[in-house]
Amino acid sequence: MNLDFSNDEKEFRKSIRQWMKENVPDDIRSCTARGAMPDKSMQQRWERLLGSQGWLTTTWPEQYGGPGWSATQRYIFDLERALAGAPPTSPFGVAMVGPVLYTFGSEAQKAHWLPGIQSGETLWCQGYSEPNAGSDLASLKTRATLNGDHYLVNGQKIWTTQAHWADMMFCLVRTDSSVKPQQGISFLLIDMKTPGIEVRPIYSIDGHHHLNEVYFTDVKVPVGNMVGKEGMGWTIAKFLLTHERTTIAGVADIHYEISRLKTAMAALPTENDKEQAKRRLAALEVDLMALEYTNFRTVAATDEGKPFGPESSGLKIKGTELQQRVSQAMVETGGLMSLPWDNEEPIGEQIFNQASRRYNFLRACTIYGGSNEIQKNVLAKMLLGL
Amino acid sequence: MDFKLPENTTMIADTARRYLKDNYSFDTYIAQLNESNHLEANRWQSMNDLGWFGLPFAESVGGYGGSLLDVCAIVKELGAALCLDPFVDLIVSPGKLLEYANTPASLALLDRIIAGEERVACGLYDRHAGYHVLNPSLRLNGERLSGQKHVVSDGGVADAVLVSAMSGDELAIVALPFDACDVERYRLLDGSRAASLTLDDVLITDEMVLCRGDAAKQAVSAWFDYLCALDCARMYGACREVYQATLEYARTRKQFGTTIGSFQVIQHYLVDAFIDLQQLESMLLMVSVKGESANVCERGRATAAAKAYYANRAVGITQQGIQIHGGVGVTEELNIGHYFRLVTHASLSHGDREHHMSRFIQAGEKQNEVV
Repeated sequence: MNLDFSNDEKEFRKSIRQWMKENVPDDIRSCTARGAMPDKSMQQRWERLLGSQGWLTTTWPEQYGGPGWSATQRYIFDLERALAGAPPTSPFGVAMVGPVLYTFGSEAQKAHWLPGIQSGETLWCQGYSEPNAGSDLASLKTRATLNGDHYLVNGQKIWTTQAHWADMMFCLVRTDSSVKPQQGISFLLIDMKTPGIEVRPIYSIDGHHHLNEVYFTDVKVPVGNMVGKEGMGWTIAKFLLTHERTTIAGVADIHYEISRLKTAMAALPTENDKEQAKRRLAALEVDLMALEYTNFRTVAATDEGKPFGPESSGLKIKGTELQQRVSQAMVETGGLMSLPWDNEEPIGEQIFNQASRRYNFLRACTIYGGSNEIQKNVLAKMLLGL
Repeated sequence: MDFKLPENTTMIADTARRYLKDNYSFDTYIAQLNESNHLEANRWQSMNDLGWFGLPFAESVGGYGGSLLDVCAIVKELGAALCLDPFVDLIVSPGKLLEYANTPASLALLDRIIAGEERVACGLYDRHAGYHVLNPSLRLNGERLSGQKHVVSDGGVADAVLVSAMSGDELAIVALPFDACDVERYRLLDGSRAASLTLDDVLITDEMVLCRGDAAKQAVSAWFDYLCALDCARMYGACREVYQATLEYARTRKQFGTTIGSFQVIQHYLVDAFIDLQQLESMLLMVSVKGESANVCERGRATAAAKAYYANRAVGITQQGIQIHGGVGVTEELNIGHYFRLVTHASLSHGDREHHMSRFIQAGEKQNEVV
């Protein structure tokens, strides 16, 4: 038993902290400190900067250009990134389609797509959900029909985060309706500039544009853009569910949010307010500690070559619940100061000015990536044998 | 980081589990529940033979140098077995206080405890001070000790007690015979035996005062943290049993022509319990290491967090266990309700949730001062 980082890991932590201190751009840092989310140009500038260091794709194997870090090092990097006020990287390229490509893709596909993900040049989005295929993903209907050297794609995707930013989409499409729903699904890469694609915005309850509907009308996609064989889409989607889950709990970003909550607390006008806020904060910190040590266990297990399987879903469930509670605590701590929605000048402390937006935004986190209820269904089946 | 238990700890845990499986059934527990004397000679001797009496204490004071992690491994299994043998109350609790007091008189008494020659209990709680063990209401005025102690857990059999008292503005730890006090004995929520002591101008000689001042404060504070960690271990063992029993019940109990485990609401309850148990285990590993840390601030913050978390989630698992069992869950016949009582008991002994939340806040503020 040893609950401390090794000396080497402590040194690594120092060097990452120093790098973050010198390299996280001020505008991004102050954006995050306000509780706002970076816009496309900030996000991309940050990801390109990481890419130029070879630090965007920290989870990738060395042969595909990963830095060769242990899970503990990746955890430390993520923690220092968050504490420095830098945003998490967009998961679609780095954490999703990248690993799919180097696991299932052809050599040509790897050579064509991986470099752009690694450098932060290509932005990706995920075409999974449809109006009638949300939690029940296997019932998706968007169809890809083979037509010579290309597929013709018709249908509609929804809840597509950052589709309006993306260059590329990885998409689950139906290529066969005559077999079991799961077996007729394929994994297709679609250039977002292809004629026949229409992206329509959906505004979220935080007032911002993150989500989209994407319509496909006779969209021509080269056959070389299919990953794996026809019918492998479901296998690939399931692979992603258990791939690299050591940061799934969001512990690093919760730490940062807790530090913002502490800053906010110090700014409260009365001792009574502070006292209440302290107790609210302490309850969150205790729960974070339980989550953090569970996360440490998965990190340590990964470094021993025994990564957690489906039980890491528990981290997603607890982590997203805690993110929501911390954002709610910020709103509650601000009280009236959290109410103004569109004012430039805060009525009280700046830190509360975006609090209600963030609180609204995070309602989505227990829904996306497989709602927490779906995660529980999966755990009940796979781990509990129910 | 490394979360693997040392080989020795695993061996201690396996031995404890096997010993209890062979020697302590639910029927044994029920029989003991109805006894006022919880010291059963054969099992007491077995625990001594297993080396448990010396395990919690450093080799330099005559113990076998086991870590808190080792002792937690045993206490976890005692919790899982609902075992009422007063191992913690008569060995670990008084022994650790004496070890931490670290005076010739306290270590001499510890020697006799390790040898199984003394039945000593700890009386550190009273009605006025509540959980604030550093500020007891018992008063030592010159040679006279007066006041009250309650929830003195002793297996119903202690001959002597270590009490804390204020002597002026100084904390003192005093050893005295039970029969110097007016004693009222009773059963506690978890089925264990305890006493309330009333002291009315009891004559105290110098050699009965084991430790005073800062040394006494440090000893009681370290003792409190150690016992908090053991509470968590005991609760974890119990929760693990409740979770497994409830899962098994959901798999086999049929209603509406199918197992109740096929209902989504039951599945989600059980998944919640599974995840909570996973996090409780993480907190136990954390507190089993940090609960005896030399860094007092870190130690206090760790035990406060763990106990606060357990008071919330461990209790929750046993409550939900009863709910899923339905009617049979609230009966004295089934073990689930007994685990529920044990866990609730342990969540209230050595500080409840609110007390530990306050400690956690204070420890955090002190930590910030240091940083």
